Amino acid sequence: MQAIRLARPRTSLSTSPLVRSLATTAAPGAHVASSSTATKAQSVIPLSNVEAQWATMNAEDKALVHQQIDALQKKDWKELSIDERKASYYVAFGPHGPRTPTNKPGDNLKIALATIGLSAIAGAVFLGFRALGPAPPRTITKEWEEAANERGKELKLNPITGIASEGYTGKGFVSHK
Amino acid sequence: MSRMLTTAMRAAARPTLKAARSPAAAIPSQLRFSSNEHGQESFEQFSTRYTSFFQNAEDLFEVQRGLNNCFAHDLVPSPEVIEAAVRAARRVDDYATAVRVFEGIKEKVENPQQYKAYLEELKPLREELGLLTKEELFTS
Repeated sequence: MQAIRLARPRTSLSTSPLVRSLATTAAPGAHVASSSTATKAQSVIPLSNVEAQWATMNAEDKALVHQQIDALQKKDWKELSIDERKASYYVAFGPHGPRTPTNKPGDNLKIALATIGLSAIAGAVFLGFRALGPAPPRTITKEWEEAANERGKELKLNPITGIASEGYTGKGFVSHK
Repeated sequence: MSRMLTTAMRAAARPTLKAARSPAAAIPSQLRFSSNEHGQESFEQFSTRYTSFFQNAEDLFEVQRGLNNCFAHDLVPSPEVIEAAVRAARRVDDYATAVRVFEGIKEKVENPQQYKAYLEELKPLREELGLLTKEELFTS
Protein backbone atom coordinates (compact mmCIF):
# COMPACT_ATOMS: atom_id res chain seq x y z
CA MET A 1 0.00 0.00 0.00
CA GLN A 2 2.84 2.38 0.89
CA ALA A 3 4.55 1.64 -2.41
CA ILE A 4 1.34 2.35 -4.27
CA ARG A 5 0.93 5.68 -2.52
CA LEU A 6 4.51 6.62 -3.36
CA ALA A 7 4.09 5.61 -6.95
CA ARG A 8 0.85 7.45 -7.48
CA PRO A 9 1.99 11.07 -8.12
CA ARG A 10 4.51 10.05 -10.72
CA THR A 11 2.02 8.13 -12.79
CA SER A 12 -0.82 10.56 -12.34
CA LEU A 13 1.34 13.32 -13.80
CA SER A 14 1.52 11.39 -17.04
CA THR A 15 -1.85 9.76 -17.37
CA SER A 16 -1.79 9.28 -21.12
CA PRO A 17 0.59 6.25 -21.17
CA LEU A 18 -1.58 4.64 -18.52
CA VAL A 19 -4.70 5.10 -20.55
CA ARG A 20 -2.95 3.69 -23.59
CA SER A 21 -1.69 0.64 -21.71
CA LEU A 22 -5.16 0.02 -20.28
CA ALA A 23 -6.66 0.36 -23.71
CA THR A 24 -4.35 -2.34 -25.01
CA THR A 25 -5.31 -4.72 -22.26
CA ALA A 26 -8.94 -4.04 -23.00
CA ALA A 27 -8.54 -4.96 -26.66
CA PRO A 28 -10.88 -7.81 -27.61
CA GLY A 29 -9.46 -11.24 -27.00
CA ALA A 30 -6.31 -9.95 -25.28
CA HIS A 31 -5.07 -12.41 -22.62
CA VAL A 32 -8.37 -13.73 -21.37
CA ALA A 33 -7.01 -15.87 -18.57
CA SER A 34 -4.58 -13.40 -17.02
CA SER A 35 -6.52 -10.24 -17.74
CA SER A 36 -7.53 -9.46 -14.17
CA THR A 37 -4.05 -9.97 -12.78
CA ALA A 38 -2.46 -8.01 -15.63
CA THR A 39 -4.73 -5.01 -15.12
CA LYS A 40 -4.22 -5.19 -11.37
CA ALA A 41 -0.48 -5.03 -11.84
CA GLN A 42 -0.77 -2.01 -14.13
CA SER A 43 -3.51 -0.15 -12.35
CA VAL A 44 -2.42 2.56 -10.00
CA ILE A 45 -5.38 2.28 -7.67
CA PRO A 46 -6.60 -1.21 -6.79
CA LEU A 47 -10.31 -1.54 -7.51
CA SER A 48 -10.86 -4.09 -4.75
CA ASN A 49 -11.64 -1.54 -2.07
CA VAL A 50 -12.88 1.50 -3.92
CA GLU A 51 -16.02 1.68 -1.75
CA ALA A 52 -13.97 2.35 1.36
CA GLN A 53 -11.48 4.71 -0.25
CA TRP A 54 -13.83 6.74 -2.43
CA ALA A 55 -14.74 9.32 0.21
CA THR A 56 -11.11 10.23 0.85
CA MET A 57 -9.85 10.16 -2.75
CA ASN A 58 -8.90 13.37 -4.51
CA ALA A 59 -10.28 14.32 -7.91
CA GLU A 60 -7.26 13.00 -9.81
CA ASP A 61 -7.54 9.55 -8.26
CA LYS A 62 -11.24 9.48 -8.96
CA ALA A 63 -10.60 10.34 -12.58
CA LEU A 64 -8.06 7.51 -12.71
CA VAL A 65 -10.56 5.06 -11.27
CA HIS A 66 -13.13 6.21 -13.80
CA GLN A 67 -10.67 5.62 -16.62
CA GLN A 68 -9.77 2.17 -15.33
CA ILE A 69 -13.40 1.17 -15.01
CA ASP A 70 -14.30 2.53 -18.42
CA ALA A 71 -11.52 0.46 -19.94
CA LEU A 72 -12.49 -2.64 -17.97
CA GLN A 73 -16.12 -2.48 -19.04
CA LYS A 74 -15.20 -2.69 -22.70
CA LYS A 75 -14.25 -6.32 -22.09
CA ASP A 76 -16.70 -9.18 -21.91
CA TRP A 77 -18.55 -8.61 -18.65
CA LYS A 78 -18.22 -12.25 -17.69
CA GLU A 79 -14.48 -11.74 -17.29
CA LEU A 80 -14.86 -8.99 -14.72
CA SER A 81 -14.11 -9.98 -11.17
CA ILE A 82 -16.69 -9.34 -8.48
CA ASP A 83 -14.58 -6.48 -7.12
CA GLU A 84 -14.43 -4.82 -10.51
CA ARG A 85 -18.20 -5.16 -10.88
CA LYS A 86 -18.75 -3.72 -7.43
CA ALA A 87 -16.39 -0.85 -8.15
CA SER A 88 -18.16 -0.12 -11.42
CA TYR A 89 -21.55 0.00 -9.74
CA TYR A 90 -20.31 1.92 -6.72
CA VAL A 91 -18.57 4.61 -8.72
CA ALA A 92 -21.60 5.16 -10.94
CA PHE A 93 -24.52 4.76 -8.53
CA GLY A 94 -23.07 4.35 -5.04
CA PRO A 95 -24.24 6.37 -2.06
CA HIS A 96 -21.94 9.34 -2.54
CA GLY A 97 -22.30 12.83 -3.94
CA PRO A 98 -25.95 13.58 -4.76
CA ARG A 99 -26.93 10.04 -3.71
CA THR A 100 -25.63 10.40 -0.16
CA PRO A 101 -28.41 9.16 2.13
CA THR A 102 -29.81 11.90 4.34
CA ASN A 103 -29.84 9.60 7.37
CA LYS A 104 -26.89 7.55 8.43
CA PRO A 105 -27.61 4.05 9.79
CA GLY A 106 -28.48 4.35 13.46
CA ASP A 107 -29.86 7.85 13.10
CA ASN A 108 -33.43 6.67 13.63
CA LEU A 109 -32.49 5.15 16.98
CA LYS A 110 -30.79 8.38 18.01
CA ILE A 111 -33.84 10.44 17.02
CA ALA A 112 -36.18 8.10 18.92
CA LEU A 113 -33.99 8.17 22.03
CA ALA A 114 -33.66 11.96 21.90
CA THR A 115 -37.43 12.37 21.55
CA ILE A 116 -38.13 10.07 24.48
CA GLY A 117 -35.43 11.77 26.55
CA LEU A 118 -36.73 15.28 25.88
CA SER A 119 -40.31 14.20 26.65
CA ALA A 120 -39.10 12.70 29.93
CA ILE A 121 -37.28 15.93 30.83
CA ALA A 122 -40.39 17.96 30.04
CA GLY A 123 -42.49 15.63 32.22
CA ALA A 124 -39.98 15.92 35.06
CA VAL A 125 -40.03 19.71 34.86
CA PHE A 126 -43.85 19.69 34.93
CA LEU A 127 -44.03 17.37 37.94
CA GLY A 128 -41.25 19.32 39.65
CA PHE A 129 -43.18 22.59 39.33
CA ARG A 130 -46.32 20.90 40.61
CA ALA A 131 -44.41 19.53 43.59
CA LEU A 132 -42.84 22.91 44.42
CA GLY A 133 -46.10 24.81 44.03
CA PRO A 134 -48.63 25.45 46.87
CA ALA A 135 -51.39 22.96 47.69
CA PRO A 136 -54.76 23.51 45.92
CA PRO A 137 -57.26 25.80 47.68
CA ARG A 138 -59.31 24.22 50.47
CA THR A 139 -62.53 24.84 48.55
CA ILE A 140 -61.58 22.40 45.80
CA THR A 141 -62.69 19.23 47.55
CA LYS A 142 -65.75 17.07 47.05
CA GLU A 143 -67.00 17.71 50.57
CA TRP A 144 -66.82 21.48 50.20
CA GLU A 145 -68.67 21.33 46.88
CA GLU A 146 -71.44 19.13 48.31
CA ALA A 147 -71.73 21.52 51.22
CA ALA A 148 -72.01 24.37 48.70
CA ASN A 149 -74.91 22.49 47.07
CA GLU A 150 -76.67 22.17 50.41
CA ARG A 151 -76.21 25.85 51.05
CA GLY A 152 -77.52 26.63 47.55
CA LYS A 153 -80.67 24.64 48.24
CA GLU A 154 -81.12 26.43 51.58
CA LEU A 155 -80.89 29.77 49.85
CA LYS A 156 -83.15 28.57 46.98
CA LEU A 157 -80.65 29.40 44.26
CA ASN A 158 -82.20 29.44 40.78
CA PRO A 159 -85.50 27.79 41.74
CA ILE A 160 -86.74 27.47 38.12
CA THR A 161 -84.02 25.38 36.39
CA GLY A 162 -81.14 25.21 38.93
CA ILE A 163 -80.20 23.56 42.20
CA ALA A 164 -83.31 24.57 44.13
CA SER A 165 -85.78 23.57 41.36
CA GLU A 166 -88.15 20.59 41.79
CA GLY A 167 -86.75 17.18 40.75
CA TYR A 168 -83.27 18.57 40.09
CA THR A 169 -80.84 15.79 39.03
CA GLY A 170 -77.75 17.77 38.00
CA LYS A 171 -74.44 17.95 39.80
CA GLY A 172 -74.72 21.49 41.01
CA PHE A 173 -71.39 22.75 42.30
CA VAL A 174 -69.77 19.30 42.41
CA SER A 175 -66.98 19.12 39.84
CA HIS A 176 -65.10 16.15 41.34
CA LYS A 177 -65.87 12.67 40.12
CA MET B 1 -66.78 35.34 -18.78
CA SER B 2 -63.82 33.24 -19.88
CA ARG B 3 -66.11 30.24 -19.97
CA MET B 4 -68.45 32.04 -22.35
CA LEU B 5 -65.46 33.04 -24.43
CA THR B 6 -64.14 29.48 -24.70
CA THR B 7 -67.61 28.21 -25.56
CA ALA B 8 -67.84 30.76 -28.31
CA MET B 9 -64.35 29.91 -29.53
CA ARG B 10 -65.06 26.23 -29.45
CA ALA B 11 -68.25 26.77 -31.40
CA ALA B 12 -66.31 28.82 -33.92
CA ALA B 13 -63.58 26.20 -34.23
CA ARG B 14 -65.91 23.25 -34.64
CA PRO B 15 -66.75 23.56 -38.33
CA THR B 16 -63.07 23.70 -39.34
CA LEU B 17 -62.23 20.70 -37.17
CA LYS B 18 -65.07 18.77 -38.66
CA ALA B 19 -63.92 19.72 -42.12
CA ALA B 20 -60.39 18.64 -41.33
CA ARG B 21 -61.41 15.15 -40.22
CA SER B 22 -64.53 14.20 -42.08
CA PRO B 23 -65.04 10.71 -40.57
CA ALA B 24 -65.03 12.37 -37.15
CA ALA B 25 -68.46 13.83 -37.82
CA ALA B 26 -69.90 11.06 -35.64
CA ILE B 27 -68.04 12.38 -32.60
CA PRO B 28 -70.50 13.96 -30.16
CA SER B 29 -70.17 17.71 -30.11
CA GLN B 30 -69.67 17.79 -26.33
CA LEU B 31 -66.33 15.97 -26.66
CA ARG B 32 -63.29 18.09 -25.85
CA PHE B 33 -61.16 17.96 -28.92
CA SER B 34 -58.07 19.29 -27.18
CA SER B 35 -57.64 16.25 -24.96
CA ASN B 36 -59.02 13.84 -27.51
CA GLU B 37 -56.34 14.68 -30.04
CA HIS B 38 -53.64 13.07 -27.86
CA GLY B 39 -54.68 9.46 -28.10
CA GLN B 40 -53.88 7.08 -25.29
CA GLU B 41 -50.73 5.09 -26.00
CA SER B 42 -51.30 1.39 -25.50
CA PHE B 43 -48.83 -0.77 -23.60
CA GLU B 44 -47.75 -2.50 -26.83
CA GLN B 45 -47.12 0.83 -28.54
CA PHE B 46 -45.13 1.96 -25.51
CA SER B 47 -43.06 -1.23 -25.63
CA THR B 48 -42.29 -0.97 -29.33
CA ARG B 49 -41.46 2.72 -28.99
CA TYR B 50 -38.94 2.17 -26.21
CA THR B 51 -37.55 -1.03 -27.70
CA SER B 52 -36.69 0.81 -30.88
CA PHE B 53 -35.39 3.75 -28.86
CA PHE B 54 -32.95 1.57 -26.95
CA GLN B 55 -31.94 -0.30 -30.08
CA ASN B 56 -31.00 2.99 -31.69
CA ALA B 57 -29.45 4.67 -28.65
CA GLU B 58 -25.87 5.57 -29.35
CA ASP B 59 -24.27 6.82 -26.16
CA LEU B 60 -24.55 6.42 -22.42
CA PHE B 61 -26.35 9.71 -21.94
CA GLU B 62 -29.05 8.73 -24.40
CA VAL B 63 -29.50 5.30 -22.80
CA GLN B 64 -29.80 6.80 -19.34
CA ARG B 65 -32.18 9.50 -20.54
CA GLY B 66 -34.32 6.83 -22.17
CA LEU B 67 -34.32 4.80 -18.97
CA ASN B 68 -35.36 7.82 -16.95
CA ASN B 69 -38.27 8.46 -19.30
CA CYS B 70 -39.23 4.80 -19.61
CA PHE B 71 -39.33 4.22 -15.85
CA ALA B 72 -41.18 7.46 -15.21
CA HIS B 73 -44.49 6.03 -16.46
CA ASP B 74 -47.08 4.37 -14.28
CA LEU B 75 -46.23 0.90 -15.57
CA VAL B 76 -43.44 -1.64 -15.43
CA PRO B 77 -41.66 -1.85 -18.78
CA SER B 78 -42.08 -5.17 -20.54
CA PRO B 79 -39.21 -7.69 -20.66
CA GLU B 80 -38.54 -6.83 -24.32
CA VAL B 81 -37.92 -3.21 -23.37
CA ILE B 82 -35.69 -4.31 -20.50
CA GLU B 83 -33.72 -6.58 -22.80
CA ALA B 84 -33.27 -3.78 -25.33
CA ALA B 85 -32.17 -1.43 -22.54
CA VAL B 86 -29.65 -3.90 -21.12
CA ARG B 87 -28.27 -4.59 -24.57
CA ALA B 88 -27.98 -0.86 -25.13
CA ALA B 89 -26.02 -0.62 -21.88
CA ARG B 90 -23.76 -3.40 -23.15
CA ARG B 91 -23.29 -1.55 -26.43
CA VAL B 92 -22.20 1.65 -24.68
CA ASP B 93 -20.04 -0.42 -22.28
CA ASP B 94 -21.61 0.54 -19.00
CA TYR B 95 -22.03 -2.29 -16.53
CA ALA B 96 -23.45 -0.10 -13.79
CA THR B 97 -26.34 1.09 -15.93
CA ALA B 98 -27.27 -2.50 -16.76
CA VAL B 99 -27.32 -3.32 -13.04
CA ARG B 100 -29.32 -0.17 -12.42
CA VAL B 101 -32.00 -1.29 -14.89
CA PHE B 102 -32.79 -4.27 -12.67
CA GLU B 103 -32.78 -2.02 -9.62
CA GLY B 104 -35.34 0.11 -11.44
CA ILE B 105 -37.55 -2.93 -12.05
CA LYS B 106 -37.37 -3.82 -8.40
CA GLU B 107 -38.49 -0.32 -7.57
CA LYS B 108 -41.39 -0.34 -10.04
CA VAL B 109 -42.97 -3.78 -9.48
CA GLU B 110 -45.77 -4.19 -6.97
CA ASN B 111 -44.41 -7.16 -5.01
CA PRO B 112 -41.27 -9.31 -4.74
CA GLN B 113 -42.89 -12.15 -6.70
CA GLN B 114 -43.17 -9.96 -9.78
CA TYR B 115 -39.51 -8.99 -9.45
CA LYS B 116 -38.59 -12.66 -9.22
CA ALA B 117 -40.66 -13.34 -12.32
CA TYR B 118 -38.76 -10.64 -14.18
CA LEU B 119 -35.44 -12.09 -13.03
CA GLU B 120 -36.51 -15.56 -14.18
CA GLU B 121 -37.70 -14.25 -17.53
CA LEU B 122 -34.44 -12.38 -18.12
CA LYS B 123 -32.13 -15.05 -16.71
CA PRO B 124 -30.81 -16.10 -20.17
CA LEU B 125 -29.94 -12.49 -20.95
CA ARG B 126 -28.19 -11.98 -17.63
CA GLU B 127 -26.19 -15.15 -18.06
CA GLU B 128 -25.30 -14.23 -21.61
CA LEU B 129 -23.92 -10.85 -20.57
CA GLY B 130 -22.54 -11.92 -17.21
CA LEU B 131 -24.79 -9.52 -15.37
CA LEU B 132 -25.34 -9.63 -11.61
CA THR B 133 -28.10 -7.77 -9.81
CA LYS B 134 -27.28 -5.30 -7.07
CA GLU B 135 -28.28 -7.82 -4.39
CA GLU B 136 -25.98 -10.44 -5.86
CA LEU B 137 -23.16 -7.90 -6.08
CA PHE B 138 -23.30 -6.58 -2.57
CA THR B 139 -24.27 -9.62 -0.54
CA SER B 140 -21.77 -12.12 -1.94
